[in-house]
Amino acid sequence: MRGRELAPTLLRVLYLEDKRLWHSSPHLSSLPSFASKRSRHGGRRARRYSVELLDTAVDAQGLSDNDGSAQPRTVPLTIICGFLGAGKSTLVRRILTERHGYRIAVIMNEFGDTAMKLAKTINVSSPNDPTQQSEEVLELANGCLCCSIKDTGAAAIEKLMQRKGAFDHILLETTGLADPGPIASMFWQNEEFSMGLGRDIHLDGVVCVVDAVFGRQQMEEDHAADGIGESLRQIAAADVILLNKVDLVPPADADALEEMIRGVNPAASLYRTVRGEIDLKYLMGIDAYRSRQLLDETRKTITGQHGGSTHTHGHDHDHDCDNEHGHEHHRAPTHYELRGISSLQIDCPKLSAAQLDKLDEWIRTVLWEKQLPNQATGATGAGSIEVLRCKGIFVTEHGELHVLQGVRNLYEIAKVEEGEEELGLPDTGKLVLIGKGLHESVRSNLMEQLGIA
Amino acid sequence: MSAVAIPCQSSNCPNGHPPSRLECPTCNKLGIKGSFFCGQDCFKANWKTHKIIHDIATPRQPLLDDPNINKDGTFNPFGTFKFTGPLRPVYPLSPRRVVPDHIPRPDYAEDGIPTSESRRAGQPPRLLPPDEQEKMRNVCRLAREVLDIAAAAIRPGITTDEIDAIVHQATIDRGAYPSPLNYRNYPKSVCTSVNEVICHGIPDKRKLQEGDIINIGYHGDLNETYPVGRVDDDSKRLMRTARQCLDEAIKLCKPGALFRDLGKTIEPIARANGCSVVRTYCGHGINDLFHTAPNVPHYAKNKAIGTMKPGMCFTIEPMINLGHWDLEHWPDDWTAVTIDGKRSAQFEETLLITETGVEVLTAGKPRADLQ
Repeated sequence: MRGRELAPTLLRVLYLEDKRLWHSSPHLSSLPSFASKRSRHGGRRARRYSVELLDTAVDAQGLSDNDGSAQPRTVPLTIICGFLGAGKSTLVRRILTERHGYRIAVIMNEFGDTAMKLAKTINVSSPNDPTQQSEEVLELANGCLCCSIKDTGAAAIEKLMQRKGAFDHILLETTGLADPGPIASMFWQNEEFSMGLGRDIHLDGVVCVVDAVFGRQQMEEDHAADGIGESLRQIAAADVILLNKVDLVPPADADALEEMIRGVNPAASLYRTVRGEIDLKYLMGIDAYRSRQLLDETRKTITGQHGGSTHTHGHDHDHDCDNEHGHEHHRAPTHYELRGISSLQIDCPKLSAAQLDKLDEWIRTVLWEKQLPNQATGATGAGSIEVLRCKGIFVTEHGELHVLQGVRNLYEIAKVEEGEEELGLPDTGKLVLIGKGLHESVRSNLMEQLGIA
Repeated sequence: MSAVAIPCQSSNCPNGHPPSRLECPTCNKLGIKGSFFCGQDCFKANWKTHKIIHDIATPRQPLLDDPNINKDGTFNPFGTFKFTGPLRPVYPLSPRRVVPDHIPRPDYAEDGIPTSESRRAGQPPRLLPPDEQEKMRNVCRLAREVLDIAAAAIRPGITTDEIDAIVHQATIDRGAYPSPLNYRNYPKSVCTSVNEVICHGIPDKRKLQEGDIINIGYHGDLNETYPVGRVDDDSKRLMRTARQCLDEAIKLCKPGALFRDLGKTIEPIARANGCSVVRTYCGHGINDLFHTAPNVPHYAKNKAIGTMKPGMCFTIEPMINLGHWDLEHWPDDWTAVTIDGKRSAQFEETLLITETGVEVLTAGKPRADLQ
């Protein structure tokens, strides 16, 4: 203060041991102040500032040109959805307890309509004691991100990690009625802004917990304004489905429910659980928006180990089908209508480069224009399509593997790099669409566009 | 100095407060009477409490000591912020400029919240009918006029606040409301981004210096980066690259083109010149709303949604950095700066897709210094 200003002392924020949260508010303490009252240690020392020590050495190294070809570790984020009472919180607690030694952040999402309205705080588990959680305040960003599509919620989490260090995993638990699709879409697109400094978030997958006791009723009865029920939306967007509380229902009911779920989403991995008990490797680190999970599932289908949906007669169908079911549902492409939402599986042969372009054009017409190419939407909305989730694997004539991932109208067809295929290429490709308006005409339209008889 | 001996003033004198003639020298200098102590030890023991009297009595001159306050009274309000480059804000900002009553205002003029934008969020880009297209043409032409007027004023020594005054006046002279003003509480009518500021710089009292590069950004929507006097070769390369990126991207625009393909052209040009493309900010749709769908990233490998169709009106505004592409914000919540303090340049135009191609609504004269 009297011209003898000591260098500001940098204080480490010990938020694990000491649960108080310190904010550094540089713009407050920098205003000219005549009394050194803010000095915590009084006396003759100059003002000390509580400032977080930024590890500039790490940042400087990371500033080399990152063209995305190098793949440094990013922080996986899993969205956990499911109706109230299905067992989401039990699952989250289990994850925290079992992943003892990991820093896991849990965010409760107060869901809004398009923008994600985050809670003001998130809970970070301590690696040392999973029952302890420190509460971190999320500073939401501000108006200047108007020209940026970076979501304020994602930015807030990244800012927090910049201050406190990277988490090992982030769990986003949505409220019971939330549709995880837009949230997944947002985090998936957010990956484009990654810095590659080990603090970026990538979308690991969507886990849906379904209540074996009430699930069927929920699927049949709930409905949102546009006719697709919330629970159906959650199942449609899921990459992993846990059929929880199976111990409370007779096996036949569980089978029936599984069949219903598979009809809506044949691409997700489905596991039956009791009290959310399942090896976490099936839930976390699954890379559902890359190629690995898709390739695994495809291989399972090819080798006949699909899901375990044994066929029973205890369920109802909406489509025309005699009661003598001679065919296996999970083998032939399915067409299952449940209150407006269905799934469509289309087999694709090996594609030429031109056909791959056509496929891309078809996908974007369906996803962005919400209709089939060369087919105008009828006045009653007939012919309009809404795809909630799509996945696909395609093989080209040159032996390349391409993977399609899409959620809502965000999609990407990416080439799978050498070395990721492991067990060799499948012979045929496959496309899975989940959504509304997916009639048989969709399949024939695609084949027509690709020039396949 | 009095001849009378005064008892020791120490509150915990071990000697029982004997009278003394030993006075504190500082108090003596300051003119404080009566600060007597029985001995040096007693004085030292009581020093901590006693010196408070000096603090209270000393005439204060903090302005001389605080490095964040300049001699002319301007100051840097974010003294402890870890600035990434040499640029500093020069406050105070001038008071909010007045817009005459006869000029219609947007919905955010009062509270800063663009409610009409939120209402349209999530919808695909609007296709403008011919009368709205004509309106956009007019607005963009006016915006170009205003920008040219502001550019003509650039010279070493002028402050960015003066440029803001010029822009504000030129806008209201044309009967228009300067859109950045109070958009999400932005305080000024134009964005002036100097050197390492990428975008959204707030005009303040900083004088432009020879060698600076300044980007003036204005709603229409358009912006350009100008040199102040003579600039170094790196800055020239940077500006030329940014302009080239924009021009090449515009060439791709026509009905049926994909928004996600623009980045595929822009990023290689930047790389070839040793620069990087900012990822956080994107081009955007513009019509009766300031920022709306579509979203136009400038980097390669993006998942942008949308196909260009006649009637769509949007901007392309690549921000090119000499160093790394990442950015940081100043505590004013607006100014975006490069994370390594190296310079950044930007150019922006508003485009309208026509039946056959694209029309650059904000086109100006080609600049000699960018050839």
